[in-house]
Amino acid sequence: MGFYTNCNGVTRRDTLQLGLGAILGGGLMTALRVRALAKPDKPDANALAAQAKSCILIWMDGGPTHFETFDPKPEAPEEYRGEFQAIPTAVPGVLFSEHMVQLAKNLKKYALIRSIRHDQGNHGAGNHYMMTGAPPRIPVGCGAFVSFHPSLGSVVAHEKPPQKGLPAYFSMPSMSRSGGPNFLGAKYAPFVVGGDPNSPGFKVRDVVLPEGLTGERFDDRSRIRNEVDNLQRFLDKAAGDPALALDEHYKQAYDLIHSKEAQAAFDIAREPAKVRDAYGRNSFGQRLLLARRLVEAGVPFITVYDGGWDHHADLFGALSKRLPAWDHSVAALINDLDDRGLLKETLVIALGEFGRTPKISTLPGHTKPGRDHWSNAMSVLFAGGGTPGGTVVGATDRKGFSAIERVLSPENFVSTVYTKLGIDPGKILYTPNGRPTHLVSDPTPIQELM
Amino acid sequence: MRLILCICVLLSALPNTGHAANPGRSPTFERDIQPILTRYGCNAGACHGKARGQNGFALSLLAYDHDFDYHAITTEARGRRIFPANPRFSLLLRKATGQVPHGGGKKLDPQSPEYRSLEQWIAAGTPRTPADAPKLEKITVSPTQRLMKFSETQPLKVTAFYSDGTQEDVTRLAQFSSSESVYARVSPEGVITAGPIPGEAAIMARFAEKFAICNVLIPRPHPVDAAVYEKLPRHNFIDELIWKKLQQLNITPSERSTDAQFHRRAYLDIIGRLPTPAETRRFLANADPHKRARLIDALLERPEYADFWANKWADLLRPNPYHVGMKATYNFDQWIRRSFRENKPYDQFVRDILTANGSTWTNGATVFYRNRREPDELTTLVSQLFLGVRLDCAKCHHHPFEVWGQDDFYGFAAFFGRIGRKGAGISAPISGGEEAVYLGPPTGRRAGPVKHPVTGEAMMPTPLLGQPLDLPPDQDPREVLADWITAPDNPYFAKVIVNRIWADLMGRGIVEPVDDLRATNPPSNPELLEALAHHFRDNRYDLKKLIRTLATSYAYQLSTTPNESNAADLRNYSRHYRQRLRAEVLLDMVCDITGIPERFEAMPPGSRAMELWTVRSQSIFLDSFGRPDPNQDPPCERTSETTVVQALHLMNSPALHRKVTADDGRCARLATSSQTPAEIIEELYLLAYCRYPTDSERTNALKRFAKPGASRRSATEDLLWALINTPEFIFND
Repeated sequence: MGFYTNCNGVTRRDTLQLGLGAILGGGLMTALRVRALAKPDKPDANALAAQAKSCILIWMDGGPTHFETFDPKPEAPEEYRGEFQAIPTAVPGVLFSEHMVQLAKNLKKYALIRSIRHDQGNHGAGNHYMMTGAPPRIPVGCGAFVSFHPSLGSVVAHEKPPQKGLPAYFSMPSMSRSGGPNFLGAKYAPFVVGGDPNSPGFKVRDVVLPEGLTGERFDDRSRIRNEVDNLQRFLDKAAGDPALALDEHYKQAYDLIHSKEAQAAFDIAREPAKVRDAYGRNSFGQRLLLARRLVEAGVPFITVYDGGWDHHADLFGALSKRLPAWDHSVAALINDLDDRGLLKETLVIALGEFGRTPKISTLPGHTKPGRDHWSNAMSVLFAGGGTPGGTVVGATDRKGFSAIERVLSPENFVSTVYTKLGIDPGKILYTPNGRPTHLVSDPTPIQELM
Repeated sequence: MRLILCICVLLSALPNTGHAANPGRSPTFERDIQPILTRYGCNAGACHGKARGQNGFALSLLAYDHDFDYHAITTEARGRRIFPANPRFSLLLRKATGQVPHGGGKKLDPQSPEYRSLEQWIAAGTPRTPADAPKLEKITVSPTQRLMKFSETQPLKVTAFYSDGTQEDVTRLAQFSSSESVYARVSPEGVITAGPIPGEAAIMARFAEKFAICNVLIPRPHPVDAAVYEKLPRHNFIDELIWKKLQQLNITPSERSTDAQFHRRAYLDIIGRLPTPAETRRFLANADPHKRARLIDALLERPEYADFWANKWADLLRPNPYHVGMKATYNFDQWIRRSFRENKPYDQFVRDILTANGSTWTNGATVFYRNRREPDELTTLVSQLFLGVRLDCAKCHHHPFEVWGQDDFYGFAAFFGRIGRKGAGISAPISGGEEAVYLGPPTGRRAGPVKHPVTGEAMMPTPLLGQPLDLPPDQDPREVLADWITAPDNPYFAKVIVNRIWADLMGRGIVEPVDDLRATNPPSNPELLEALAHHFRDNRYDLKKLIRTLATSYAYQLSTTPNESNAADLRNYSRHYRQRLRAEVLLDMVCDITGIPERFEAMPPGSRAMELWTVRSQSIFLDSFGRPDPNQDPPCERTSETTVVQALHLMNSPALHRKVTADDGRCARLATSSQTPAEIIEELYLLAYCRYPTDSERTNALKRFAKPGASRRSATEDLLWALINTPEFIFND
């Protein structure tokens, strides 16, 4: 690991790959790497664990259709198979829908689950189930924005402490419905980065200086801050002075602001035009690119919220426009991570709350057909962290009604994510009232992906 | 056996640990075996006691279901857990002693009396305890109170009393825990060891479903002259009771706060905003010896009072807008604000909520029942909110740290068994609709009686610690519940609210958490809590009078700076406790001092954060500083901790940057005014810190104005930015 100690010969790209932790003097990142390297020699119960250090969750809000993405049914009658054709993929015998061109070519790099099903057919509940691994405790409505259990991102933030002041859980450009911390507390809520990284002048909020403030003036202000900060601190630890904790947080914040490498990670404009083009010059593509930079900086969980997949009407029109760019961006992310050697330690997952109805229908008042909510079948893209590429887990029936082979639950799905990140899904968490709660009620990961 | 002689005059029974349990009686399941499984943690929530058990072996949590457990041990898994022919080869014993791999490790020593009891029990054919066997009536712990020196030890003795008049030493089978193990920890064998700092702890002993408490007090080792306490000022009964407690601990209180400190503190605590520079100047110049009390009176009459206190109650009551709809959310919020504007007596406020009837679109209080619909969720909420009693554990099993069981839970739930509802349900898209709440029929499809989940028995409404009530059909059970909750002799009602308000003003509850009143979580000053509750009842539940009493006490006005005796005191109010300001208060402060108000969705321009009525009005600032989110279920608690995200936001948020540098903001106006730099500096200190700058602070700041390259505008902006980014601004000192 000599490359840590000799920064002179390190290229910028290497620097980014090392991540913030390395630059800030080793610390957690180094510890994680050492642990990861030491793993093969110690075949203990957790030897499979912690293959991944970070996770990029692409949340396709609204419930993406499985037919027009990863699970086409070319043999089914027209009212089921829809307008799109099926195309071959890199894995013989596995077909995708016609707009998933890039992802079809790259299937060897990632895995697909076609057989997750659950029983929550509205947005509020489906969102909750997939985002937390727990069904909502009481019935909730479609518009619901609820949380009965901590989300994947909040649990990861809780279990993998943030490094040197970096928020551990980012969500862009907004929080997903059930993406909150629940009883873990607001400290583990996502750090929401709004705005459009595709627009010039975009900045990650708060971690970089605001537009119009020079570094020089910021430093000047900080010196003034030291002069005016005369509130007495009670240094006796027993006195429990909360101002001491704030001092520590300001120190971490300064470290972050003054770390050139961290600041570079947040600055998407430093990315070569070629790479930015590869991800697609649109908000979604650039958010994926920013997510990759955050992974390089050591952020363990990033949700890229991607709304508008609720295609009750005009399914084919809307998807003809949307899918090519989406396919392009997601494939670019997987390729880029792979090229940089980061895919083996980074999970990339794309899913929504459920799949969509097999039979095409037209809503009253609409002329163009769509598909409705369908939680009996859905497809989930699952890449990285040692996931064997080209694996397709499970299958739905001939018309795509239901998962019939290797039927899996949301619990299996989140258990896989936790296990890959080195978190025991069988762990017991305690609520502030001291009540024990299972992290996942059925902590069985999907073996094919391990 | 080891005897420890001590200075304690309270000590009566001498402890005796270490002899075998139940001498001369052959063990039976309920009486002898279950306590062993509990004592060694077999049926704990983290082991076999969790809902799906552990590795296929499930026990009821803390042995609340004897039939279930007996079956699990003796017949499940094809009976392989028990081997009567050779008891020592029973899986139960081989696992517990670690002879075969056991996830929980070695729990039991083969030489122990417990092992022998289990062995005997298996050899005897696993007998159950006969139904007519003597019942456990209570347990006692001795001593019950103890004054201890640093590092001193004290063994406890636990005695079980049975209905046939027999007693048994169950110390070996009891479980022990300390409420504050920093001050006094207790070993699994029941030996208390005092820590190295003065304080108090309650040591709880549990056996079967009974518990008993020993209170431990560890004073500072240096006695203080009684005259010191006699000379302390006493503004009202609060001071008397606090000084009394401090005297027991040999702690002396901190100095009195300065006028400036007190002035800022009173504004923030009573109306949730900073005083203006003019108000601060006036107060500091005022020579009236009673100016502090007069200020408190004046603040209680300010219009901001209602919004500030309603905001606190909204934390507790605010419904999930996705459940109830926006119009109902707004109505409930306005109802709460109106109650505080009228200074509605607290008992009336609670009664109005509990007995609310009518439309969610006209009577805001009814939204309480739109948001929480099932009798069991209402039971959990109402008992915690208005009584400080946590019944949620009792829903499924006997509360391990309290007296409550399922009968209590469902008897309480029966008060909500007749709520009728008509109108829109809560599922979108109809959740925006109107709903009416009324007294439903005594029986029927929807408003059927609340049933006990185990016995299936229809429950009669039963107050806690009371008898079941046979109510006539035209009597609304919620009216009866409200009568009982708000009755002067209710043991919880007044205490929990005075404790909440006390915690708001004093920085910490006499009981913590503030809504968890129980014998096993004792108040730091029981007499004080009692006296406050009494005072509150005598003043007809008038919240303003209560706040006035608290704020005018000398204790409220103490400095936060510790003296040599009280740095470690976090529970007895020998000094004031520093608090991070609430999200809404801080945001309003930033807006006030920068002169640039915030724009909120669904609010008229110029609105303050304190006036927001739904969390759906987005604000990164408020979320960063821990505004609770009612969409979380249970609602996320407001957090008062500090985080890196907060520091980053105050330093770098573009919104805050705009406020500091705006052309129509405070800094621009000061910079273009005719004021001298020294005057500008004074103004900024008064705005942010509510005090005059010291001479050296003034000198330093003046250098910034004189620095080459600095303009009046940039120097003003930088100074204000710096003031906002310090603890003196962010904390209520």
